Amino acid sequence: MIEALAVQMNGIRKSGRRKPIGPLNLEIPSGYVVALVGPNGSGKSTIMNLILQTLHPDEGELSWFGKSAPGVLPTELRQLIGYVPEVPLYEENYKTPEEAAAFRARWYPRWDQQRLEELLRRFEVPEKVKLNKMSKGERRKFEIAAALACRPKLLLLDEPSSGLDPFAWKHMIDVLRSCLEEEEITIVLSTHIVDEVKRLADYIVLVHQGEVKGMVEKDVLMGNWKELWVRTDRAQLEGLPDILEIHEDGPSNWRLLVQNLAELEDILVNRGVSILKSRGLELEDILTLWMKGELPEEIKWKRGEY
Amino acid sequence: MWIPIQINENSAEPLYHQIKTQLRSLIVSEQIEEGTLLPSIREFAGSLNCSVITIRRVYQDLENEGFLRTRQGTGTFVAKVDQGERSEYRRTVVQEAVEAAVDAGLAVQYGEDELKELFLQILKKKYHSNQKEADS
Repeated sequence: MIEALAVQMNGIRKSGRRKPIGPLNLEIPSGYVVALVGPNGSGKSTIMNLILQTLHPDEGELSWFGKSAPGVLPTELRQLIGYVPEVPLYEENYKTPEEAAAFRARWYPRWDQQRLEELLRRFEVPEKVKLNKMSKGERRKFEIAAALACRPKLLLLDEPSSGLDPFAWKHMIDVLRSCLEEEEITIVLSTHIVDEVKRLADYIVLVHQGEVKGMVEKDVLMGNWKELWVRTDRAQLEGLPDILEIHEDGPSNWRLLVQNLAELEDILVNRGVSILKSRGLELEDILTLWMKGELPEEIKWKRGEY
Repeated sequence: MWIPIQINENSAEPLYHQIKTQLRSLIVSEQIEEGTLLPSIREFAGSLNCSVITIRRVYQDLENEGFLRTRQGTGTFVAKVDQGERSEYRRTVVQEAVEAAVDAGLAVQYGEDELKELFLQILKKKYHSNQKEADS
């Protein structure tokens, strides 16, 4: 199945003030949730700015919904994109939610005032307070509501949950999920929150040192490695390709880091190794292994089928 | 509707396989009836915290195997399970469980007669007490 792409980046490079970015090659399929993960300063926000063309690449090509445009992002494409920046817009600081919404509504032909009001009520955003007088979390909730009110086809969320309390966070997850169920929308979010990735993402993109290291389907990535506790002689563990690490964990007990457990399990059982326990890895450990280059090449860019 | 599927993140069995096996046995055992509208792919993925790609693959595979059918624009429904298929499936489930029990016996060097005796004993106990419950 050939899927439509919401965003395509091809060989994008940008020499920044701090460090160079790229080459970036990324294909974001339409209708999915793609989580950008990676250490601070790895280039996640830069990718969003490149998609919005608030930052222009030195080289490479970019297209949105199959259309490419040299120079400034055309208004009709920009109108399809909702964006929650990491730091809110200074220009709206002295506006109330109502005033800021009226300003934004002029730019978005699909603006949905009813949706905005519903969301602001649901998020309990104060109505009469100027945006710069709000708490960080309240402002964030306004930003998310306003980004959804433009009924975007592509929604860019740069650390959307920063400043949100756990209740507002849960609301946000629910709201995003119902948007996804309602109509086809593509979401790109950058996040450090493991639970956000678990609950929302379909694909995970690792951004590391200004490069895109791959895009892997979440469930494939999460299931790739397991920790395994076994009881056996050390010799029985020799010569097996899928065992990445072996740690002693008591007499004749070993803790292993493995991949392809389903196949490995049979081999171990045949060798008379007793398997005491297996455990999935946490996302942060998975990303650490990926950054160390341990992720098998064949699953790094595979999309749609496996 | 809510589908009672239990995911074990620590299992060696891939997530896709866990969901497919459980959904299939819910259908074959008629815990989900013929004609039931299943949740949308996005909704189901959300309730299991997995990706839509996994759910789409499960739906497609079960449709190919004849357990589900998709009506364009309406959704995915549980298909009619063939009676032959149902008895075949029941047999497979029981056979796998018995094989696992025999393997457990072999692993601790249980003798054939010993195992047979134990099996008959359990058989008598289970079926007999079930009978009593049914009578009362």
